Amino acid sequence: MDNYSPFEMILAIALIVVSTFVTRSALLVIGERVKFAPRVEAALRYAPVCALAALVAPEILLDAAGLAVSLDNPRLPAALAASLFLLWKRSIVGCIAVGMTVFALWRVFVTGS
Amino acid sequence: MVRDRNPAGLSKTEAVRYRARMPISKDDPLRRREFARGVTDILPAMPGAVAWGVVTGVAMVKSGLALSWALAMSITAYAGSAQLAVLPLLKDASPLWLIGVTALITNLRFVIYSAAIRGWFTDYTRLRRVWLGYLSGDFVIVTFLNRVACEGTFVHRDAYFFGMCITNWVLWNVASIVGIVGAAYIPTQWGLEFAGVLALLALVVPLCRERPALAGATSAAVVAVLGHAWPLRLGMIAAIMIGITVAMLVDARQRAARASPQARS
Repeated sequence: MDNYSPFEMILAIALIVVSTFVTRSALLVIGERVKFAPRVEAALRYAPVCALAALVAPEILLDAAGLAVSLDNPRLPAALAASLFLLWKRSIVGCIAVGMTVFALWRVFVTGS
Repeated sequence: MVRDRNPAGLSKTEAVRYRARMPISKDDPLRRREFARGVTDILPAMPGAVAWGVVTGVAMVKSGLALSWALAMSITAYAGSAQLAVLPLLKDASPLWLIGVTALITNLRFVIYSAAIRGWFTDYTRLRRVWLGYLSGDFVIVTFLNRVACEGTFVHRDAYFFGMCITNWVLWNVASIVGIVGAAYIPTQWGLEFAGVLALLALVVPLCRERPALAGATSAAVVAVLGHAWPLRLGMIAAIMIGITVAMLVDARQRAARASPQARS
């Protein structure tokens, strides 16, 4: 990429590294000095599930054109099959395998892409 | 949240060693066992991390990043979603401050994660906490929180956590190097990244068994979809905040409903 000088590239990567350290480590390091209200502490229990849902939902429900809730979107049946398999067998590896299989088959036989 | 400095089940000598913050050593079978359990606990989610690593590597090279910069970024930044978010900005020759801010906001969910786990690590050295945080990831945090939710506190939590982190770090980096080096041979239309999505889905679904969590996750999902095009990935932050608020409201209502029949009788 010729948009940046080597120095600027190093700076850009350094900024990303700093953001990784700051977001992941800062609260751990000052952990005992930060006291949250009990309500906030209780709310943190639901943080991981909400963050993961916010991360996953757009990946499944959106495509390049926007909202893709139709049978043309192979990720919908694949995610559904994977979730059902997970609830049935409780296997993460199986969930990924079933999801990817349905995803691939759907693309070959239904959407043809 | 349990935050005791001397967890239950510790013999006197173990407690001394524990407080002395002994590093991983060959003569400490207890630490090694926790480290090994960390490795095995995180392995089921790793196909997703590997697929995601490969896709991130390919994406970096295909967006025009030179091989050496892609390798440097992958190994040091260690933040798949931030790297992917920054790529279009690098392509457009965006100002550096925008790259920094975008990386920071994409990583913001880790502030909430680390707030959720910080109580379990207050008795380790600062330096160790820095590395525990830096090497953590979505899979690691959720697996750790699941374990302490079932079993409560245990000795050598840091060794367990490091076991997961190091497995995740090694596999993710090997995968992104494979993606970077093999970018020409790995077609993007395979949809490999979907394996990463499925691995995250496998973490979300079991967490949704309680009604507040399900309501929170659903609202977070809706807001994330609606706000996906907002600048600086702010839709993601709004989604998490609204999701947590909804979960708390449903939680409070559930408690009130459970308490009221007793109050009436």
